[in-house]
Amino acid sequence: MRVFLDLWWYFKREKTSYIIGIIMLMIVSILSLLPPYIVGVVVDLMVENNLTVEGLTFWLIILFFVGLAAYIFRYLWRIMIFGASIRLARLLRNQLYEHFTNMSAKFYQRRKTGDLMAHATNDIRAVEQTAGAGVLTLVDSLTLGGFVIITMAVTISWELTLLSLLPLPLLAFLTNFYGSMLHKRFRVAQAAFSSLNDRVQESIAGIRVTKTFGQEKADIAAFQAESDDVVKKNLRVSRIDALFDPTITFIIGVSYFLAVYFGAGFVINEDITIGQLTSFTIYLGLLVWPMLAFGWLFNIVERGRASYGRISELLAEQAEITDEHADTTKPPSGRFDVEIHSFRYKSEDDPVLNDVRFQLKEGETLGVIGRTGSGKTTLMKLLMREEQGVNGKISLDYRSIERYTLDALRTSFGYVPQDQFLFSATIADNIAFAKPNATMQEVIDAAKLACVHEDIVQFQNGYETFVGERGVTLSGGQKQRIAIARALLVEPEILMFDDSLSAVDAKTEESILEALRMKRSERTTIISAHRLSAVKHADVILVLDQGKVVEQGTHESLMKKDGWYREVYNQQQLESIVAEGGDTGGTYG
Amino acid sequence: MEHTDEQLTTKQQTRILKRLLSYMKFHKVLLFWAMLFLALGTGAELIGPILIQTFIDDYLTPAQFPVEPLIALAVTYIILHVSAVFFNYFQQFWFDKAALRMIQRMRVEVFGNVAHMGLSFFDRTATGGIISRLTNDTERIKEFYVNVLSMLVQNFVFFIGIFAAMFYLNVQLALFCLALLPVVFILLHTYRKFSAKYYGRMSGKLSELNARLNESIQGMAIIQIFRQERRMRREFAELNDEHHRAWLKGMKLDGLLLRPAVDFLSIIALMLVIGYFGIISFNSPIEVGVLYAFVNYLERFFEPVNQMMARLSIFQQAIVAAGRVFKLIDHDEPAPPKRYEGNPQITRGRIEFKNVSFSYDQTTPVLKNISFTIDQGETLAFVGHTGSGKSSVINLLMRFYEPDEGEILLDGEPLAKYSKEELRKKLGLVLQDSHMFSGDVLENIQLYNQEITEAQAVQAAETVRADQFIQKLPGGYRHPVGERGGTFSTGERQLISFARTMALNPKVLVLDEATANIDTETEELIQAALETMKSGRTTIAIAHRLSTIKQADKIVVLHQGEIQEAGNHEELLQKEGLYYNMYVLQQGRRLEAKISG
Repeated sequence: MRVFLDLWWYFKREKTSYIIGIIMLMIVSILSLLPPYIVGVVVDLMVENNLTVEGLTFWLIILFFVGLAAYIFRYLWRIMIFGASIRLARLLRNQLYEHFTNMSAKFYQRRKTGDLMAHATNDIRAVEQTAGAGVLTLVDSLTLGGFVIITMAVTISWELTLLSLLPLPLLAFLTNFYGSMLHKRFRVAQAAFSSLNDRVQESIAGIRVTKTFGQEKADIAAFQAESDDVVKKNLRVSRIDALFDPTITFIIGVSYFLAVYFGAGFVINEDITIGQLTSFTIYLGLLVWPMLAFGWLFNIVERGRASYGRISELLAEQAEITDEHADTTKPPSGRFDVEIHSFRYKSEDDPVLNDVRFQLKEGETLGVIGRTGSGKTTLMKLLMREEQGVNGKISLDYRSIERYTLDALRTSFGYVPQDQFLFSATIADNIAFAKPNATMQEVIDAAKLACVHEDIVQFQNGYETFVGERGVTLSGGQKQRIAIARALLVEPEILMFDDSLSAVDAKTEESILEALRMKRSERTTIISAHRLSAVKHADVILVLDQGKVVEQGTHESLMKKDGWYREVYNQQQLESIVAEGGDTGGTYG
Repeated sequence: MEHTDEQLTTKQQTRILKRLLSYMKFHKVLLFWAMLFLALGTGAELIGPILIQTFIDDYLTPAQFPVEPLIALAVTYIILHVSAVFFNYFQQFWFDKAALRMIQRMRVEVFGNVAHMGLSFFDRTATGGIISRLTNDTERIKEFYVNVLSMLVQNFVFFIGIFAAMFYLNVQLALFCLALLPVVFILLHTYRKFSAKYYGRMSGKLSELNARLNESIQGMAIIQIFRQERRMRREFAELNDEHHRAWLKGMKLDGLLLRPAVDFLSIIALMLVIGYFGIISFNSPIEVGVLYAFVNYLERFFEPVNQMMARLSIFQQAIVAAGRVFKLIDHDEPAPPKRYEGNPQITRGRIEFKNVSFSYDQTTPVLKNISFTIDQGETLAFVGHTGSGKSSVINLLMRFYEPDEGEILLDGEPLAKYSKEELRKKLGLVLQDSHMFSGDVLENIQLYNQEITEAQAVQAAETVRADQFIQKLPGGYRHPVGERGGTFSTGERQLISFARTMALNPKVLVLDEATANIDTETEELIQAALETMKSGRTTIAIAHRLSTIKQADKIVVLHQGEIQEAGNHEELLQKEGLYYNMYVLQQGRRLEAKISG
């Protein structure tokens, strides 16, 4: 029940809805006591032959209005209480989203997308259930249950009430017990199901291999075995699940039996009338729901508490990268002074970068070259402060980058990431992502610079073509060039290409780089790449290997040395000729 | 197989429902017992109120209490109650069991059908869609089988039972109560109509909201570096609002038509019973017990109605999901079949392409009039850029696809004459993507194949020198392979993939060389392994490594689906074409290296 305390701030905030809702709920409880009472009264009148036409009409009309009023109040409390609970869901969802937008890269390395999504969906649902169904079951089982028992005891017979109620606590206990057992087994069944899903994913992803080796039958057999396991574990759930209804009917039946057995005695002794006995059994029926609700309440609250705990914990996380040391809101220009002694992601790890030093004047280009895992992306992230904690100094415009507010710092950067991430929106929206109010002409200009305009106009809907699952499937190269256009549109002081030319062919690469040289002679550009042709024209080239700078200089100076750079450059030239498939007219570098 | 949510017509829905129900025929015996127990359980449960009625009318009202009949009555009541518990437990469990078996059958059926489809299907269809059919959609159908189907049957039997009991007690009043059924039906129908619309919109908004959230989490770095946090928050809040509004509407609908309405209806029913007995009582004495029993039955009548209405949406979703799943089951796109009589064996491994043309979509030609031969034990290397048709040659040779024109001969016989098993055994394809399956290293080498013994697998690993690193793993060959083999390096995965192929001891080796950069040490291992693998085998390679190309007996340069240049090393040099240029360049580099070194 502690979760109700945890959520107290929200109940206070929505106190009007909750108070009105709870009052209505109580009215409904009282209203539902009337029909059994009326039945009892009418039965007694009939037995004693005292029922008149007016009397019957009167009671029927009363019954009708009781029903109608109950209908209206039942509708209204739902709007009040459930309405408030779904507003809580909306509020928490917005809070989480806002929180996510404030979190730094480290947070996203630590937490899997799937887990974050689970918090934003399942956990929010569990909290919403607590604030809605949880409040309902608590109030309803207490008020309706209480009222019914009081009515039975006061208006009919407290002895009979006590006797008939004897089995009911067992009902609450058993259903709660089954509930928690069911929950455990259900989790096991869910795990089996998700492992079946993993198997499907794997089978489909590896279908080429399976077919190459002609092992489809074995694959199907394995699937069958695993789905057998799913059935087995679900049957364990069913074994418990099937207990609910019979248990309920059994215990209620025992209750009825006790009521009639002892009630008959009371009728004979003329302690109660036969009409009262009839009312009594109907009241008994009314108690079933509050009893069950009480059993459920524990499950709802338990889940709600765990979920709310997880959400609170998430919301309490602090962003690692903040404006704490910032003293200017002026976006920097592109002058870099970098002196990294070492950098590691976790203090116990080996350093990812060692001894990286360079200077870059405004308008110059830096090229970073190296194998996968050599530290290129880490360096890029440090330069734009997506990561921090470097042993050394990174200055922009003669000031440590920590002294700029994140907003100011990011104003100067345009970034093209390695993984070509686009949003599910139109191509135009994607290109204008950083400047939503850009004119169509600006969008087209950026697309032309990125050599993707021709591709875009080929699509049926041109710039309005939808990207993503619901729209057109773009090739890796097209995505990459749209991502480039996106960064170019804001005309940033500092443009960063993180291996962003890997999926375009050599000719396109050359024309993009040429366009950059033309347009950005005054501004700083940083390019990391596998292919050396992408950094050939850079003013400073860093060759990284296992986090260390193994060679540094310009293309010309590096070609003069007999090092890694020259060897790889020559080899890549050769391979590009092979890849071009006989275009012998090209240059060999 | 695109995921389209077109509206299904009533006719289509009925057809899908019928087909869903047809799966019941596989579990006749189980379902028979479940039905029998259901009938017995329902009967036992519903006779209870009649016994109480008998007690009230025959003994309580006249105030006569003979001991023996009363004890008999009480004992019967208790026995019936206990047996109802027993029957109902088992019928519920058996219905569940049948439902789970039905969905399992369907799952295996879909999976089996998918697994048997030709590669052309997988090349054209987004894997996400196939996976979603196999997982999410079948799960929805499971919900239908488990929660809806058995409930419908149970409630139907229950209704029959209730009305039978009511007719037994009082035919006239039972007839009046029958009038409730159309009202319930109208209520159900109205709710169904509106809820399909409202909840459809709500779940649409919810998945939009979740998709947006998911995407934002993945693209947070982009959002932040481009300073769009505020805009994204605002857009998310707007979407959140839209979802909230749709949800609220659904909630209002529920409030109007679900439980509150059903409860109101039960008051009307109560009025009916009271009114009836009231009017009777004006002329003659009434049986209180019958009144009691009617009130009791009507109370029981409305709970199933509530249940059915609450589960309508599951039903709706299951029908849509089943429509998609059946479409996949009915889709037939098998791998190219075996043609011609006879069952030849591949003994030498001589390959001949004769004027082969091919296109994937019948319009854009991918290969144009390709001819070449590879003799037993020779190596042929294909070079060419992406899209030149290299992979298509392999797809045809492996008989994943059939050529549109021309002929492919293996040991002089048409490829189509060989059984699939023979082809898979004797043509060893090493794929660029060395996909790892969960399981251990040994299983990944054997790849489900029962015929490959552990000793053979180990020997294959030794042949390709994968043995060295496998031995060093904890557990050796029993070392578990994590998700997609993530713990292994690209090179190590390649070596395991080589071992997989070598375990079959194929006559022909088909190499789709990886372009990915591999560290020098493993690269050397791989080169050595490839040497061993190629010796004594016919080899056809899509080559990226210069070493592979140079050592080939024949080199074919493909360009836009045509052979641009072909020949061996010397012949190509004499042509002074591409190969000549490459060679000269390489020589030049060596020379340069010598001078500077």
